[in-house]
Amino acid sequence: MARKILCVAEKPAIARAVATHLSGGSFQTHAIRGNQYVKNYEFDFNFGGAWGTCSVTMTSVVGHLTGLDFDREYKGWMSCPPGALFEAPVQETVDKDKLPIADNIRNQAKYSKALFIWTDCDREGEHIGSEVRNQAKAGNAQIEVKRAKFSNTESAHVRRAALEPVNLDEYQASAVAARIELDLRIGAAFTRLQTLQLQTVVAALKEKVISYGSCQFPTLGFVVDRYLRVQNFKPETFWGIKVILSREGKKVNFLWKRVHLFDRAVVTMMLERCLLAKQAKVTKVNQKPTSKWRPLPLTTVDLQMMGSRFLRLDSQTIMKVAEALYTKGFISYPRTETDQFDKGIDLKKLVEKQYPDNSWGQYARELIDGKFRTPRSGRHNDKAHPPIHPVSWVSPNQLNANEKKVYEFVVRRFLACCSDDAKGQSTEIEIQYGDEFFHTNGLIVLERNYLDVYVYDKWESSQQLPNFERGELFEPTEANIFDGKTTPPNYLTEPELIGLMDANGIGTDATMAEHIAKIKEREYVAINQRGGGRSSVQEFIPTRLGVALVEGYDNVVEGLPNSVSLSKPFLRKEMELRMVEICSGTKTRQEVVQQSLDMYREVFIHTQRRINMLKTACRKYLVEETTS
Amino acid sequence: MTSPDQIAAQILSTKSLPVSQTWLNAFLSSSSTAQRNIPASALAKSAIFRLLASDIRESLSKHRSYVLPVDIHNPAVQERRLQGSIPVQVLDIEDIGTSLWSQIEAIERVERGEAIRGREIVRTIAIGEDPEASENNRANNNPANGAASASGNSGYGPHRLILQDAAGTMVMGIEMQRIDGIALEKLAIGAKLLLRNPSVARGMLLLSPESVTLLGGKIEALDKPWREGRKARLLEKTAGVERE
Repeated sequence: MARKILCVAEKPAIARAVATHLSGGSFQTHAIRGNQYVKNYEFDFNFGGAWGTCSVTMTSVVGHLTGLDFDREYKGWMSCPPGALFEAPVQETVDKDKLPIADNIRNQAKYSKALFIWTDCDREGEHIGSEVRNQAKAGNAQIEVKRAKFSNTESAHVRRAALEPVNLDEYQASAVAARIELDLRIGAAFTRLQTLQLQTVVAALKEKVISYGSCQFPTLGFVVDRYLRVQNFKPETFWGIKVILSREGKKVNFLWKRVHLFDRAVVTMMLERCLLAKQAKVTKVNQKPTSKWRPLPLTTVDLQMMGSRFLRLDSQTIMKVAEALYTKGFISYPRTETDQFDKGIDLKKLVEKQYPDNSWGQYARELIDGKFRTPRSGRHNDKAHPPIHPVSWVSPNQLNANEKKVYEFVVRRFLACCSDDAKGQSTEIEIQYGDEFFHTNGLIVLERNYLDVYVYDKWESSQQLPNFERGELFEPTEANIFDGKTTPPNYLTEPELIGLMDANGIGTDATMAEHIAKIKEREYVAINQRGGGRSSVQEFIPTRLGVALVEGYDNVVEGLPNSVSLSKPFLRKEMELRMVEICSGTKTRQEVVQQSLDMYREVFIHTQRRINMLKTACRKYLVEETTS
Repeated sequence: MTSPDQIAAQILSTKSLPVSQTWLNAFLSSSSTAQRNIPASALAKSAIFRLLASDIRESLSKHRSYVLPVDIHNPAVQERRLQGSIPVQVLDIEDIGTSLWSQIEAIERVERGEAIRGREIVRTIAIGEDPEASENNRANNNPANGAASASGNSGYGPHRLILQDAAGTMVMGIEMQRIDGIALEKLAIGAKLLLRNPSVARGMLLLSPESVTLLGGKIEALDKPWREGRKARLLEKTAGVERE
């Protein structure tokens, strides 16, 4: 039998990159019938170990091969009561447009002794790997199955992965299978229920599909929650005391320890007691070295948050660009929760690769010449991927505008991680004036260190403070009352929304950007531009439909003990936690699907029973719209 | 048999509360059936327990050495110091270091059940803060920072109290220094405080750990409606747009 190994990557570009590295650049390309993107690359490679030198066919899929759907008799919207979808039989079938790709894998498997899976090393990749495995086994029941463990497409890394095959992680594949089934059943049941019921209520919804997704709704919930907080906000006046001292030609402002209070008479009385005391006494003079810490190694969530803040790209664009940079071999895999570098990774070598750059090459050189520091370690490790870092240098003119921005950010962040903290000297002066305490702070930046390369952080020296002695008495130059007004929070921005999703356990780092894009696409939220020019910020504002849905679902569970609204993160958060349990092997896919369905079924029953709450909310927000 | 005077003396010496003769007699006669076999100290204890739940306008002496001066509110007086120990009861407590609106939001979080463990929602995220700060924030999935606000503990004050003496004179008290036990959740309406030589400035009593002793207690008939009506009162105050 031919000693042939069939390799299958998740995307055509990865297949090509891996083929290039393993073959040293000489391979034959064959088109496959029925799909213009997927190609088979053929070459020889010495895998060492049990396989030795083999001929290789490297091909790929295009994401998931199969989809899960209800049996035909349940597909029509009127075919069954929506609640039946919690139990209706489902089937996994190869997507129609993926049939040629599946055929190709089955055919190639026939002539191969082993299948070597090169899908991305994360949960989705593990599941796609299991789909590939099923096809290959259908073509050749005897085929041996292995998978490559890699986190970037840099040449040496890829070759090493080829020599050290591991097994497919069935737990992770099961977790994804569970999630797919839950998303299908819960999504379809609620989408049909709310669409059929709400279409009849308002003319504006007549032709509309009002989709439900267990991540989309809590995501929408955050946007609506903040919107309502802004709308309902009532400004209030506050008063405070400020003390000024002119000394050595400098004007020192002392800030009140109480900051401000919401009672003018009380503040006036307090100020009077300060003035009666005449002299203020210095109670504390603290001078100490201080530092501003260099950033932690970069995770996906951080890339999305920082990226949408500093690079003015939305999170979905950032992920697409990062994905492209990874596929081309410039940065490591951009989906990671890890914020600590493994001890085994040669960071200095990665820094050296940046020498040719015009902007930060010199900085990289200085690091290697003695300024290099081992990066800080965060608390997260997904045990699959390192933090996002550059794997090779690329000249800026080979990148498009967005790629340039994201690549620059990843590199600067990486170099910052390998630098020393910024160092400075801080001074804190506290005084007692009457019964009240005031303080002032000074900062002198002594060494900028990482700030020189990480242009996104700001840390600047303050005005220099005059000298103060502990215990000294002085008469302040001025002591006055100031007033101000409380201001509402701002509408939610994208980095904040990602932060909230992360903190509340909605979505995985890999899917957050999709959920945000979804609620925009569904017209549950719209984008508003705040400010102009460089300082402009994009904010999320819910549409009337968005507000109506959240209010409707909140009202559905109003007054029901232990029932939580679908607009809140808890149900989804619990589901995500159960996925993790599947991955660690403490729960089975079946258990998790049953438990999660039970949880959502309960809310579904409440929703059906109190559907009028939803209808009323839609009428309230959408009928007004048509008449106004 | 214990005399009322003995008991009154005991209450005065242990709690500095000058009990009213009429109230004490009523108390003793209501418990007369059992009183014979009860020692004076136990009887005094149960009287104190009742006192703390009573309205001091009915239960304490109105003698002028135990009450506030009637002109205490005079805003023209810059500062004066009162002499002796004066018992008062709390009629209202407000946090003047926190905006009304954020107090309302805190109440609503509790109403929505978000104070329950595992049902907290993280609502604000510090972005691009100092690494130390932002790390703390990251750790906040479950924990401390969010907990304080989620449980409805609004702020750290200072608090503004309305206090009433045995004669019914009311005065505003300002918590000038942090006093343990003075907090919205901890201090009941009707709780009794003992003022010791307190200062008064511009008609406001200045409260500090040295000038205030918390005796505790509660007037149930006042406390319950006060708590139930708190959100409505806050809302009403914010409706005026500006608070002055």
